[in-house]
Amino acid sequence: MIDAMDKAAGLSPDDAVFSARRFRPEFVDGAELCRLSVLQPKSDQGLAQGLRVALAHRMAALNADQALIAEYGAQLAVLDPTEEVLALARGATDLDEPLATIARHVDLITLAPIQADAKDIAKLTEAGLDNPQIVALSELIAFVNFQTRVATGLRLMRSA
Amino acid sequence: MINSVRLKPLNWRPHIAPVEVSEATPEQLDAMKVTPSAKKVSEYVRTLVHDPESYVARTLLFNAIMYVEGGLARPDRELGALGASIVNGCKFCAVVHARRHAELTKSDYLVTALYLDKPETLAPRDVAIYRFARRLSATPSEATEEDIASLRSVGMDDIEIIDLIHAISIFGWANRLMHVLGHAESGK
Repeated sequence: MIDAMDKAAGLSPDDAVFSARRFRPEFVDGAELCRLSVLQPKSDQGLAQGLRVALAHRMAALNADQALIAEYGAQLAVLDPTEEVLALARGATDLDEPLATIARHVDLITLAPIQADAKDIAKLTEAGLDNPQIVALSELIAFVNFQTRVATGLRLMRSA
Repeated sequence: MINSVRLKPLNWRPHIAPVEVSEATPEQLDAMKVTPSAKKVSEYVRTLVHDPESYVARTLLFNAIMYVEGGLARPDRELGALGASIVNGCKFCAVVHARRHAELTKSDYLVTALYLDKPETLAPRDVAIYRFARRLSATPSEATEEDIASLRSVGMDDIEIIDLIHAISIFGWANRLMHVLGHAESGK
């Protein structure tokens, strides 16, 4: 069965890399459970699925990951997003709060985590996020940056 | 002239208040797998367990990637983690995984070479792994097919390369938690 990571990496069951990936069922199943835990969690901490998918789309774009841009764009379209959430997904910065602060944080941590400091977390708190939301947002950002790297690595293996 | 670098461990302190064990929900307690020595649950775990669902899923995946039997040698996974942590600026993770590499190999050679910013003095296998780790960790990725060819040329098979991709990528994740949600302090 093709999962989200195979799809992102463009792998099909007749690829050698597809089979090699199955040597580690812990990685295959684990990555899928992680994806669900940040994009379709049972308890969303007040961060709706549409917002999460929009941010994933934004981060896929920052990572220039065409397959994941297309995938998250398709997922977002069926969630009937508002104009504001669509703008967030497309990389806008002139957004209402708390989306403007969330967008700024997502961009910083995706592009240059080395620059992050305590002030960046304080800004999320000032924008109204509580601690569970700050952690849930951090895990979402971190997951998408994991996903783009695994997909990129697998794609390079397939073509190299 | 420094002949050998030994790094001291750092402590990690969160920017937000961690969950107090006495106030944790049943789901959070279950996620922390609280034992009678509950006071020993680290601040890191208590911070991340604000969102127990992602905490459990990520911890299981992290442990599989770093500790699963067979495939890529443990020090090579640590080197992948270290390369990512340096690019992402997670000092705490970099020190932990540099120390673990030195323990596993019983040698400070690699840590010394990287600390002195002389990666060119590394063995060819370590050069290939370290370079790939750095390039895959950039946003967007700067890794290329030549990097994969380099890994293959030093004898790595597809299963080892997949293990390495995961070790680097899971630090694209872990670094974005540890360096973002807290900071490193020198040990006492």
